[in-house]
Amino acid sequence: MSAIAEAVTPPIAQSGASPSAAPDGVFLIHGLGGTQYDLGSMHKRLKNAGLVTHSLTLPGHGTKPEDLADVTAEQWIDAVIAKYREVRDLHPRLHLMGMCMGSLLAAVVAQREKHASGSLVMLAPPVYIDGWATPWYRVLRPLLYWVPGIRTMKIEEEDPYGIKNEQLRAIVKAKFERGENFHYRWVPLECIRQVDRLRKVVMTKANDIRCPTLVVHAREDELTSLASANFLVEQIGGTRARMVVLEDSYHMVCVDNDREIVAKSVLEFLGAALPGATSVLANDPRMTHDELHSAVGAAMARLAGGDLAGLRELAIPDLTWVQPGANAISGAHAGKKFASFAARVTDSLALRFVAPGNTVFNRGVALAPATMVATNAGAQLESQGALLLAFHGGKLLEARWFADEVEREDAFFGAPNPEAEGPSQLEAEFDKAAAASKMLKSAPDNDTLLALYSLFKQAGSGDVAGERPGALDMINRAKFDAWAKRKGTSREDAMKAYVELVSRLTKEDG
Amino acid sequence: MHLFIVTVFVAAGYLALSGLSAALAFSHADAWTVWFASGLTLGLLLVRPRSSWIAILAGAFIGAAVFALLLGGRLDALGYGALEVLTAAAGAWVASRMTNLPAHLDHPRELAALVFGGALSQAIIGALIAAIWNVTSGGEEGVATFRLWALSNFAGTLIVAPLVIAWAQFRPKRSGGLPMPAFAGGAIACALFLVSIFLLFRAGPDDYLGGNVGRGLIYEPVVFMALLALVWGLRGATFAAAAGALIALFYTKAGRGPFAGIQGYLGDPALEAQAYIVAISLTGMLIAVLAASQRIAARAAREWQTRFEAAIGAHRLVAYEWDPASGRMVVTGDTAQLLGAASARIATLADWLALLMPDDRERVAVRFDQRAQARGAPDSISYRVAGPDAAPLAVSDEARAIVDHDGELHRVVGLVRVAPARLPDGLREWGQ
Repeated sequence: MSAIAEAVTPPIAQSGASPSAAPDGVFLIHGLGGTQYDLGSMHKRLKNAGLVTHSLTLPGHGTKPEDLADVTAEQWIDAVIAKYREVRDLHPRLHLMGMCMGSLLAAVVAQREKHASGSLVMLAPPVYIDGWATPWYRVLRPLLYWVPGIRTMKIEEEDPYGIKNEQLRAIVKAKFERGENFHYRWVPLECIRQVDRLRKVVMTKANDIRCPTLVVHAREDELTSLASANFLVEQIGGTRARMVVLEDSYHMVCVDNDREIVAKSVLEFLGAALPGATSVLANDPRMTHDELHSAVGAAMARLAGGDLAGLRELAIPDLTWVQPGANAISGAHAGKKFASFAARVTDSLALRFVAPGNTVFNRGVALAPATMVATNAGAQLESQGALLLAFHGGKLLEARWFADEVEREDAFFGAPNPEAEGPSQLEAEFDKAAAASKMLKSAPDNDTLLALYSLFKQAGSGDVAGERPGALDMINRAKFDAWAKRKGTSREDAMKAYVELVSRLTKEDG
Repeated sequence: MHLFIVTVFVAAGYLALSGLSAALAFSHADAWTVWFASGLTLGLLLVRPRSSWIAILAGAFIGAAVFALLLGGRLDALGYGALEVLTAAAGAWVASRMTNLPAHLDHPRELAALVFGGALSQAIIGALIAAIWNVTSGGEEGVATFRLWALSNFAGTLIVAPLVIAWAQFRPKRSGGLPMPAFAGGAIACALFLVSIFLLFRAGPDDYLGGNVGRGLIYEPVVFMALLALVWGLRGATFAAAAGALIALFYTKAGRGPFAGIQGYLGDPALEAQAYIVAISLTGMLIAVLAASQRIAARAAREWQTRFEAAIGAHRLVAYEWDPASGRMVVTGDTAQLLGAASARIATLADWLALLMPDDRERVAVRFDQRAQARGAPDSISYRVAGPDAAPLAVSDEARAIVDHDGELHRVVGLVRVAPARLPDGLREWGQ
């Protein structure tokens, strides 16, 4: 459950951006002692919504906690500002997003760089260290900073680890026990001092933030109370700042019970494409009328040719196809499931949509009368109905088929088959191989690793998309190139090749 | 280098605590009310790894010898140092036979090991050797020496050793541990404890809170100690017990407080004060240890529940237990996610049946009645429930009756597997 604590003017939803222009970007900053794990699936959610994400590993992070002892707040600030300047011109709009201490750094960037091209999202900002589970001796820390010889004293992370969900907490505890490097188990006292310095910077200049700001905060945050969010909204101003209060999470809002609410709130605030036609009707489609006409025409051409899989080229990765009724192909087929749905209906049913009538447009949504044609065991079905296509920023978000006579389709396609909903044999083998690849005792050579990566991506995400990484980013560039070489390989072929490769490696591994 | 530092710190701590004990002694009778220093040695031995025992014992030897040297001759100093090492090692060894080391004092067995294995054996062995030493060196107060040594050592150890053990485990935390409201509650209890001790011992025996209230209120602070031990746990209890002991001993030595001038059953104010602080300390420790063991048990139960719920949740299972006699039903699992109804709302078989599609209810109700008659035979049935979005979901329900030793029905228990929803959340209405 969440509540919009303060009603404000809706955030930016700038229009006029051409779909051919570069997509908006989001610069994500992790928290103290953390990694991108702090932000949960936010990277993926943003990418699936058509945004480009950028991140960095803050100085002193990603190695061992001792390395934090000599890092200053200025070094963190310099690092994020350098990254900000590096990527801000790559996008029509660049949004800033930070988790915990990362949100303080994002705020400092917004202050110092007079950030106005995009929005600011602050997730669980610790302006005050006063949550319900912060220990009583927290008030003594300004005194401890003056005691010589204890600047490297370990300040440990403890139960509940910022997570209210018991299952997730058990997973995090297990990760700590295994020694996984997703988050430092402790941080030196000195870096707490640096966070305190950072807090002061944000507090004194919070009203310098001029961009639309979203503050997401859990009422039960054990590290920092809701007073932090209230302070920021008051300082930034109610006309620019919006607050979302989460009712079922602790500090790690991106991974806890309310993570879906967080993701949806953020996507909505950033004016990003949300799956679902209703969101398109509610938001600015960020497409001109001509662009929408052109996009609908391209989609209808593929549907008429029975190339449902081809829709993915026009869509966000999370494209959802909704097929009505209670039959063997009905359901909502989203993301990867759409790929297998498209392959199934094309190969075995020769499904296509023909004879489109006059299309009606409303914002980013097009409704086109059409006839669905399918062949099953020698019999042919021609079913009248309408196709709804929802676009945002030039990308297809969702397609829904509304049949005039659903009963006819139910009778033609047959009863639902729960087995068909599950993974196919090849998909099951692929999943098994993916799990087995992580159990190899000896690491394969780099070429083999690249082959594994490229086949996995081709099978899961289709042809490579996005910009080729720069020459300095050698690892990601090599991965991109390996994936690009698979361009045109079908999902099934990529899966088969992946399964065979892992099988061979497993045998060699003994 | 690390062991050398440990030795130096132990020696310094030992000397400091010896000085404190001396300051609280009844000089007119040369009576040591408490001997704190041995508690430091024993506490460290119980909480530190065995690899550092040599350094700790070396520190205790140096501290004891130096302190004895300040009071007497070199031979006495060496003998006293050796005695300290021997008794502390013996106490730690006996305690280690009763519980695993290092001690955490979060289980009653560990508390028993500290009190009876460590503190008591250390005090008695030391007192015995001291008494023999006294007699063999021409003294005539063997019994008095034994009693004095044993009691002062036992009382002092029970104050300091738990304090050392509890605070040795202290680690500064970024989050977690005692929440602020609990800390505030404990702080109030601690303040009440210390203020009541202060008022009690500052006043004369007949002048507590401005009147003659007799000795009935002497143990009033114990109530506050119990409260703070419950809330603050062992660290808070040991801290308050030590502070309270210092206040009590200071005023008793000054001839004030409830024990001044009283010839109680133990014989003199020093012994009364010793008994008093031992009672306070033991009360606090006992309650804190019991509360800690309760918390550990609760945590283990919660972890077990989390594992169980993860296992059944991963397989889309719901477990139930039905009592045909009362009609009550207890359901475990993520019913809110799987079936659209929180488990707390399913309290009877009628509540369960209400989740089913209307066409299936009668058939399933009859089947439940048959299960109650089946006396342990397994039974499975498939039916449909109105899922979270009122879209029918297929479930398979496997149950078995549990009977007692007489073959009488006790409960019917079952596992329900919920088939995957055909449409993702929020999209079902479009797929109809």
